[in-house]
Amino acid sequence: MFTRPDTRFYKAAGLLLIAAAAFVIATLVLGGGPAEAETVEPVAAGTSTATLVIQNVINGLAFGVLLALAAVGLSLIFGTTGLSNFAHGEQVTFGALLTFFLSTNEQVTIPLVPGSFTIGLPLWLAAIIAVIVSGFTGWLQDKMLWGPLRKRRVAVLQQMVVSIGLSLALLNLLQWWMGGTRHRLTNASGGRITFGNFYVGTLTLMSVVIAAIALAGVALFLLKTRLGRATRAISDNPALAAASGIRVDSIIRLVWVMSAALAGLGGILLALFDNGAGFDSGARILLLMFAAVTLGGLGQAFGALVGALVVGVVSEVSTVVIAPDMRYASALAILIIVLLVRPQGILGRKERVG
Amino acid sequence: MDILINALEQMFTPATAAFAIAAIGLNFHFGLTGLLNMGQAGFMLLGMYGYAISVREGLPMWAAILVAMGAAILFGLLLGWPTLKLRGDYLAIVTIAAAEIVRYVGRSNTLVEVTGGSLGIKGKDYKGPLEDLSPFPDERITVGPFTYHGSASDSWWLRVVAWVLVALFLLLFWRLSNSPWGRVLKGIREDEDAVRSLGKNVYWYKMQALIIGGVIGALGGVIWAHGSAVVADAMGRPTTFWVWTILLLGGAATVMGPVVGSVVFWAALSLIRAVAKAFIPESILPSTAIEPFGLMLVGIALILLVVFRPQGILGNKKELAFHA
Repeated sequence: MFTRPDTRFYKAAGLLLIAAAAFVIATLVLGGGPAEAETVEPVAAGTSTATLVIQNVINGLAFGVLLALAAVGLSLIFGTTGLSNFAHGEQVTFGALLTFFLSTNEQVTIPLVPGSFTIGLPLWLAAIIAVIVSGFTGWLQDKMLWGPLRKRRVAVLQQMVVSIGLSLALLNLLQWWMGGTRHRLTNASGGRITFGNFYVGTLTLMSVVIAAIALAGVALFLLKTRLGRATRAISDNPALAAASGIRVDSIIRLVWVMSAALAGLGGILLALFDNGAGFDSGARILLLMFAAVTLGGLGQAFGALVGALVVGVVSEVSTVVIAPDMRYASALAILIIVLLVRPQGILGRKERVG
Repeated sequence: MDILINALEQMFTPATAAFAIAAIGLNFHFGLTGLLNMGQAGFMLLGMYGYAISVREGLPMWAAILVAMGAAILFGLLLGWPTLKLRGDYLAIVTIAAAEIVRYVGRSNTLVEVTGGSLGIKGKDYKGPLEDLSPFPDERITVGPFTYHGSASDSWWLRVVAWVLVALFLLLFWRLSNSPWGRVLKGIREDEDAVRSLGKNVYWYKMQALIIGGVIGALGGVIWAHGSAVVADAMGRPTTFWVWTILLLGGAATVMGPVVGSVVFWAALSLIRAVAKAFIPESILPSTAIEPFGLMLVGIALILLVVFRPQGILGNKKELAFHA
């Protein structure tokens, strides 16, 4: 199902631009005049709606790129195994919290181990170790849980419920480990770069650049390498891939490692973007990731990127019209509407899904 | 000894009954029809809001119950319409997303006048009508080791009402699942295309199952609300997952499964908490960690159940409800 971005891609991108433009114009017409004071970022009173919308589009695009990085693994796993992995959110949280665990100067503990200690590595080193450990958890999961389940030919829906149990277990393990409070990865607030009326935080900009590089890496891997081609072959037709000599099981294990590592990296960058992470920060965005993946077309790796950008922009821009504490609701509503009119997603191929 | 009595007490709380009712609703979805409804908490929450807001605004009790049921019917129609024609996991994602939308909207500050925002609606605003019906005296009553108030809030009266409702819904499930209608649903679960080829309108049957289960879930929510309060965040995704664990633990597609599952689930959770508190030293398991520790075991139990005993305690392996 993985194909190069071709005419369909441009068509979808065009549609998207039109939809975004329509949305912006609609908000300008309906919600004209000075904006409400209830936005996420402090906005000077009297800022015009147009400025606010554009600023929100900028925030939304940044959030979208980070969301895409976190969600691309979800899409890869769905593509190769057909599993909707509900425990993916906890992978995202794990990356962020492990980075905090390794880099903080506060006292930290490990469950069931008495006593507390400080590790205090530099942030970049902690992040690299966290991504590697995240990848290892993916390997371990596939080795201990998902591989044996596939071997026993457990139905995909049954595996999905297993992933729900895993998510519940991991979520509470993370809460046990790190408590209920939010943790900041860095105390540096970072400046912001202003251009005209708009701004981007330097930390955000750095996160987005790293995420974009990682996403480009995934794209190169899928399009240019033998392993990537094998991955795409498996998502297209596992039986045929196995028959032509591709070792399906080891590729799927590789996909799990990649997916968990990317989720971990996404979690770290999201924690930088979001000024911290708690035990449930991944669980909070799990549905947005699902929305992104479903919007783009389940199992389409590039679809996840398009979907995540839509989700990011919609959830941020919608704060212009509705209260900020409902912004995720708007993204989920978009998911349901898209399923109504285009169940195969923006980039998906039209096929019977019933 | 206290630990055991506490666990026994947990077996019959209104919350246990409410979760049993929600699981009976889910049994219509998943056990009979094979629908993966991951938004049962959304149905429960809608029922709670529908009832509590109607009573607060002065509607009589029967009308409030109708509002709660009507909200669940609308929600079911809205969810089923786009998704019942699609593959099973689409329904799962849409229902879970829709349940979260209900929660986000419920706890949002914009509607604080109606829903009470994240603080929710206080018990005294809506518990009156049911408590006024109570035939029990207005004081604390002790029977054996148990002491509860006769009619207020978490009371003997609420326990009686809740468990009578459980019995009624069990009867309903038992009758319906053995009716021609129930056999069509089971047929859909086993092989949708075969049923379609017999000329049945599969889409409409699925919709009926979704709505009936959802309405039952909403009434479970109303019971739950009478035992505590209407708070949106109490009905998040974990609630849905607990209902699933309860159903799979007891045995999907069995009549008594949801009740057995709920009783065992809450008793076991209370036992785990009490035992962990009493026997594991504070330095290894601090008291703040007991709650997540217990719920972590719930997650692990769900994994083990699905992998090793998907038919649950009472289920029949031949009537496995998982079909890809």
